[in-house]
Amino acid sequence: MKKTKDSLALLGRISILSGLILLIFPLLASAHGVDITAVPVNAVEIVALYDSGQPMAGGQVAVYAPDEPLEPWLTGTCDQEGRFFFIPDYSRPGLWEIQVRLAGHGDLIRLEVTAAEEALASDPGGLTLLQKVVMALVVSWGAVGTALYFSRRQS
Amino acid sequence: VNKFLGLTLFFMVILVALLFTTGCATEQVVGEEQPAEEVLEEAGTLVFTANGEEFIRDGFVCKDGWELNFDHAYVTLASVSAFQTDPPFDTEMGWEFEDLVQVRVDLAGVHTVDLADPEADPALVGEAAAVPAGRYNAIYWEMVRASAGPAEGYVVLLAGTAEKDGEIVKFSLGLDREVAYLGGEYVGDERKGILQDGGSADLEMTFHFDHLFGDFGEAPDDEINLEALGFGPLAALAVEGTLEVSLSDLETMLAADDYELLLAVMTHLAHVGEGHALAEFLD
Repeated sequence: MKKTKDSLALLGRISILSGLILLIFPLLASAHGVDITAVPVNAVEIVALYDSGQPMAGGQVAVYAPDEPLEPWLTGTCDQEGRFFFIPDYSRPGLWEIQVRLAGHGDLIRLEVTAAEEALASDPGGLTLLQKVVMALVVSWGAVGTALYFSRRQS
Repeated sequence: VNKFLGLTLFFMVILVALLFTTGCATEQVVGEEQPAEEVLEEAGTLVFTANGEEFIRDGFVCKDGWELNFDHAYVTLASVSAFQTDPPFDTEMGWEFEDLVQVRVDLAGVHTVDLADPEADPALVGEAAAVPAGRYNAIYWEMVRASAGPAEGYVVLLAGTAEKDGEIVKFSLGLDREVAYLGGEYVGDERKGILQDGGSADLEMTFHFDHLFGDFGEAPDDEINLEALGFGPLAALAVEGTLEVSLSDLETMLAADDYELLLAVMTHLAHVGEGHALAEFLD
């Protein structure tokens, strides 16, 4: 009996230790872990040039969302080729405004962002969660129905 | 059994129909057009201003090394109008934009302001109260000859002192050809022209005098300097340290190329913030 108790106690300690290891290991692992994901999205590329064709390198960019025209939604700087990339918030469709300025020169352009682009950006397959659920229901119902049909025929 | 099979098929048809229905519904949401701009209602006050920027208020060294300081920089403005357009006006649309105009606000009168006044940051031109709220994304104005006052006879009168290598020239340069300008939305470090209910919004007519004289701080081959007259050609016309000339005088006094350059400058003198404006001579 004592042996059994000792064995159970040992098993309990091993279980607790294993549990602790299992709990701690992911924490240790995540401390130096790297998790890279790549998702294609619809980004906007701006190229800002002077009338002479010279790039506005270092041009100050301010992006304004359609529903908040007074405050920049995003600010940044053009690269050496006068380029700047950003991904609009597709949940805020409408006319986005992008202003680029440098040393007293500047211009403002507008870009129509639609929810259709959001759907493309967030779900390249084009199926919503609701559609996927309905499809699963259809398949399940078909499988259950078929099984019941054959089970009835056998009986 | 047949009844059960029929029921199963019935449900499958219903579910497939549902699938297509939800698909169609999603497309409708995707295709729905939202208001392009924030919807602003009711009324507010539009404040029209003019700005010669630090170049005029503080002085600057022009492209050929003359240090310019301005006692006065009078501009006379008339037929000032602000517009809400749909779609928003862009100077690339050109002058024919009447069909786009949703709201027009006119500022009555002729207004002469001194852009060299240290307080003119910017200079108040006038106000239009109880005008529809919304986004004023286009502005038209004319520079006309003042009919009275210190700038009488000129659309722009610049008066001040130029100095280079110990040589001092007191100058008075009067431009007397009238010009119309049409600009789009303000481009700068703040937004202007967005009028909310019960509030006020500025609309600025901005004048870049570095386009006339150039900027010593920029490279000689910078566009701003290549397209500017500078002060050297004017200084050469001074008599005993004084230069008092009008644009009409300069037509015969300046070299033809320099005079053409001066006329061209008048067409790109005006901006809305840093955004260029369209320009055409009225006479």
